[in-house]
Amino acid sequence: MVTHEEILKIAKLAKLSVKEEELDELTKDMNEIIEFANTISKVGSDNSDFDNINNLSNAFREDVVVPSYDREEILKNAESRDDGYFLVKKRA
Amino acid sequence: MDSQIKKLSELMASKQISCVELTQKYIDAIENENNKINAYVNQTPDAAIEAAKRVDEKIASGETLLPLEGIPMTLKDNISTKGIETTCCSNILKNYYPIYNATVWETLKRQNAVLLGKTNMDEFAMGSSSETSCFGGALNPHDFSRVAGGSSGGVASAVGGNLAVYGLGSDTGGSIRQPASFCGLVGLKPTYGAVSRFGLIAYASSFDQIGPITTNVEDTALVYDAISVYDDKDSTCRGRVNEPVCKSLKNSIKGMKIGIAKEYFDGIRDDVNSAVQNAIKIYESLGAEIVYFDMPSLKYSLPVYYILACAEASSNLGRYDGIRYGYKTPHYSDRDEMVCKTRSEGFGKEVKRRILLGTYVLSAGYYDAYYKKAQNLRGTLVNAFDDAFTKCDTILAPTVPMTAFPLNFTAKDAVETYLTDICTVPVNIAGLPAVSIPCGFDNAGLPIGMQLIGNRFCESTILNAAYQYENAVGEKAFKSANMGVNLS
Repeated sequence: MVTHEEILKIAKLAKLSVKEEELDELTKDMNEIIEFANTISKVGSDNSDFDNINNLSNAFREDVVVPSYDREEILKNAESRDDGYFLVKKRA
Repeated sequence: MDSQIKKLSELMASKQISCVELTQKYIDAIENENNKINAYVNQTPDAAIEAAKRVDEKIASGETLLPLEGIPMTLKDNISTKGIETTCCSNILKNYYPIYNATVWETLKRQNAVLLGKTNMDEFAMGSSSETSCFGGALNPHDFSRVAGGSSGGVASAVGGNLAVYGLGSDTGGSIRQPASFCGLVGLKPTYGAVSRFGLIAYASSFDQIGPITTNVEDTALVYDAISVYDDKDSTCRGRVNEPVCKSLKNSIKGMKIGIAKEYFDGIRDDVNSAVQNAIKIYESLGAEIVYFDMPSLKYSLPVYYILACAEASSNLGRYDGIRYGYKTPHYSDRDEMVCKTRSEGFGKEVKRRILLGTYVLSAGYYDAYYKKAQNLRGTLVNAFDDAFTKCDTILAPTVPMTAFPLNFTAKDAVETYLTDICTVPVNIAGLPAVSIPCGFDNAGLPIGMQLIGNRFCESTILNAAYQYENAVGEKAFKSANMGVNLS
């Protein structure tokens, strides 16, 4: 069983805040989903190698310098920016 | 079903219709009828007409058109389009204008594909009904009281509602095949690594794959051939390693071995089952050999999928912090609070739920029981499919255990909703290609779909089998929705 406290701890790790009124429903949902996930936790497995599930090899390219994106273009999507930088408030 | 793309291309080349006229028909239809189905969340008529003019100039100068040139189409709103808002249907990405094109769109744009707009989807592709979209759900063109499916519901709604000739969606656990099935369309989830994911906004990177939704198999083959190219911007992308699929589409399937795994039929609705059983008979009449076997490990697919996909999502969605792009909360005292409030206000309920589940299964104390176990079972499932493909060339299964559900069905019970993905997720776990095609209708006249699953990079086999079924059944399995552009 996942408790309210655990939900709050996980939410903190995930940088999400959970409102008091959301907590009951979310805990119930999470418990249902985790119960469902538990169906595999007891299953024995053959410890298959999962490092490369699709037997794919990486498609490497030559390490060639190419033009990158324009800084001003990138910054246009930021809500706060200043003098070529993203603007972030100092930690309190 | 004849290729609509080929037909339109011929009409344009023979100057029976100009590309601008054709495009305008679609723009007008979207303008008048999109409000019925909420397929498009962003329309791009000016850019569409501009592209159409380039095509008309090419025709006027006597140049031959490329296969997809001038064909009006759409993209799911998680495929990056330079200078065109790309939101993933999430409040956290509203007003995000990508500074680059996804490789698939760059490829199609070079062919003068005519982009009509971006289409609706479940927020960050997390859902089975498109109802988690911040713009509200996309509706089924065959019955407006039902969902188009998801997460690529807007693409299916637009193509099914004759508001685009074809569209590109993405499939992480069935998000192309399920809406294609619900809307009576053809939808292909390619082999992992066949199509570049560069510019596809990530949900679960080891599952995500872009693919087409069309009205017929040949169009799917044409689009797949165009987009399955090597891309040095995606190190998992090899492109199409075999011949173009269009070359072998019309081959005989006499002697082709079609596998039936009984686990795919557990708990599916009777009418869906009998539609697929009828298809098996048609395949037998076409000379295919039906092979029956068990795949007991399929029963682990859903928990394996939800554990791994959510784990990957919790990591992928860590980037939304309000600093570089997207929504940023207006009121905060320090950086931590800013990030936390931005994410909590910007993400919808289902996205938060999946981030939390992903964080949980990756957290200390639970990693071994969930994440590691799921990865091990992923390997078990891959082996099971490898073994199956020593017995057959393709596996035939239902796409979804039911037909399109009524609106708000998915809001009630998270786990019950996840169960509807039972037939689609195994393919994503194993990185295999699968195509969903229409195979009949239920009592209410709603389309039923079935899928053909292939071995890695064997898109030609499944599309060949899909084409021959479609050809044998003719127009019977397809019903055009009574809306949008009438091309007949």
